[in-house]
Amino acid sequence: MELTPVKKDPYEEKLQHLTDADIALILAEFRRRFRSADVAAVHTCVRCGLCADACHYYLTNGELEDLPAYKLNLVVGVFKRHFTTAGKLFGRWTGAKKLDAAMVREWVDALFGRCRGCGRCTIKFTTGINIHALIRAARGALAAAGLVPPELQSTVMTAVEQGNNMGIPRQEWLDTVAWIEEELQAETGDPQARIPIDAKGARLLYTVNPREPKFFPLSLLAAAKLFYAAGESWTFSSDYYDVTNYGLYSGDDAHAGLLSDRLVKAREDLGAEVLVLGECGHGFASTRWEAPQWLNKRFPFPVRSVLEVAADYVRAGQISLDPSRNPKPITLHDPCNLVRLGGVIEEQRYLLKKAAANFIEMTPNRQKNYCCGGGGGQLAMTRYAKRRLASGRIKAEQIRKTEAKIVVAPCHNCIDQLTELSREYKLGTEVKTVIEVVADAIVLPRKTSKS
Amino acid sequence: MTLIGLLRILTIASAAFSFAALVFLISHTFAFGRREYLSAPRGYAGNGIIYAFGRGMLEKESVALHRPTFIGGILYHGAIFAGLLYLFWTVLLPKIGPPLWAFRPVLLAGAAVGMSLLIKRAAKPHLRRLSCPDDFFANLFVDVFLVLAFAHTVFPSLEPVLLFVSILLFAYIPLGKIRHCFFFFYTRFVFGLHYGRRGALPGSSREA
Repeated sequence: MELTPVKKDPYEEKLQHLTDADIALILAEFRRRFRSADVAAVHTCVRCGLCADACHYYLTNGELEDLPAYKLNLVVGVFKRHFTTAGKLFGRWTGAKKLDAAMVREWVDALFGRCRGCGRCTIKFTTGINIHALIRAARGALAAAGLVPPELQSTVMTAVEQGNNMGIPRQEWLDTVAWIEEELQAETGDPQARIPIDAKGARLLYTVNPREPKFFPLSLLAAAKLFYAAGESWTFSSDYYDVTNYGLYSGDDAHAGLLSDRLVKAREDLGAEVLVLGECGHGFASTRWEAPQWLNKRFPFPVRSVLEVAADYVRAGQISLDPSRNPKPITLHDPCNLVRLGGVIEEQRYLLKKAAANFIEMTPNRQKNYCCGGGGGQLAMTRYAKRRLASGRIKAEQIRKTEAKIVVAPCHNCIDQLTELSREYKLGTEVKTVIEVVADAIVLPRKTSKS
Repeated sequence: MTLIGLLRILTIASAAFSFAALVFLISHTFAFGRREYLSAPRGYAGNGIIYAFGRGMLEKESVALHRPTFIGGILYHGAIFAGLLYLFWTVLLPKIGPPLWAFRPVLLAGAAVGMSLLIKRAAKPHLRRLSCPDDFFANLFVDVFLVLAFAHTVFPSLEPVLLFVSILLFAYIPLGKIRHCFFFFYTRFVFGLHYGRRGALPGSSREA
């Protein structure tokens, strides 16, 4: 009997055959990314271990490798060994760690496979060391040597090569928008209702997660209804509408910057005043906070979350909401990149209190909220799927305790994970975006309804 | 010159070396350059920094979940600073002795807490595996210093031993983890600045 040869995983092959040049490349990129605040962090962690209770990986899995301080010390230990005098002189005495093939493997497992970059350990524990940022620096160093897990890297490259991370062809996007426009007209009863594409001079350029046209077109309809009801001047871009940026997760600043720059240029080409980011946690953190750093320039225009825009509409009386249209108990999940790391904390609460009859907060919430486990590229990196689902147990318990029937999350990565958690932990919950709930509650002007 | 006189001079010299080495370490750290924030702020950085050093220190979940460790940590660090004050008082103002009644309980409590932290580090498997030799040594070194400082309040004849240990301790500070005594404050400052300008810390947002 002839045996079929086992197909080798090229990624494993690469990890097994790292060269000195690979190690040198990783170290050079690692060093390049450090600024004074990062170096100070190297000298700040005293390995007290109090960060253990911050991490949903550690709380659900309980392995030493899940401890935030352990992950941090893999990173700062390498910095100490290669870039500090004490680390060079005293080595392991001070926790310094040489970067070799074994350490690279450990970096990959711990930094890609055991960290979401949720920042909970930074905000609520320890001395305030930006642990997730240091872990991202190490991820970026691995990216320089082509060592990003291939599933995550392919998501980045799909966006780079095809304009969006789902690889949606331009015509399919335009067809979807045309279809949703018909739905908008039916929903509003207004044959003049439009979803503008490439409208020059529109006030807002709106961007979305490509999962919306691909799998959740009702999210597009909800946003269109919001803008319609508010009488907003807005547009999509036919080419660059993808708010996601998996370069944030791979650590690759060059590709991350390229993806962000497309949105910046699309806004410029269309002459929009404001770049509005759809409900995507990491997309918000990328474009609002990181993109100016990646592109090394200040943006001369505002970058806002659609939640901020929608909250403005309600405050200004541009839209009116009827909460009785959302009678089921609703709870809210706080996406880490939008809330804890992004600062958009109260807008979604303001909207839900206006749009839903029975809004229940999870405990803990806001900055203290637990990560759902879906971000950090975890949904893309299928090799870590079991860990991802296990780490979501805390979130599932949080949801169960609220007894809510609907979980709202202003982030499509979170929505995917929360949907899986609902199945895995038998929560029986429906998952929606904030704008979908708001759209359901919008009371359209009477004359428009009649027409 | 007497032995005590020599040790006192060496103590001051060692402290000066420690300070100079720390300044060098700090300048080396700042040589890596400051990260210029290019995104438009959404919150007040100043409020974030105030939060980081105020409410933020008490609101940490690590405080709520590990209250004995938190209180012990404050006591320990307070005792270390008290120990240093006691040492310099002894060296620089030998004729005006320090108020022993004030130092004794602080130093004793600090030493006890320090030892308990050391035992905790050795006893908890994950904490032990997370630790490097410096973690144990630095803790032990400081505990010995506190014990000697306390013992000196009772037995003044122990001054040569206290000074000798102090000389070694000062020499060790820039080399090991005790250097966090400065970097903690800088890291906390950057934390407040970074998340304050994002409006992500309580009381820092411009929007809501």
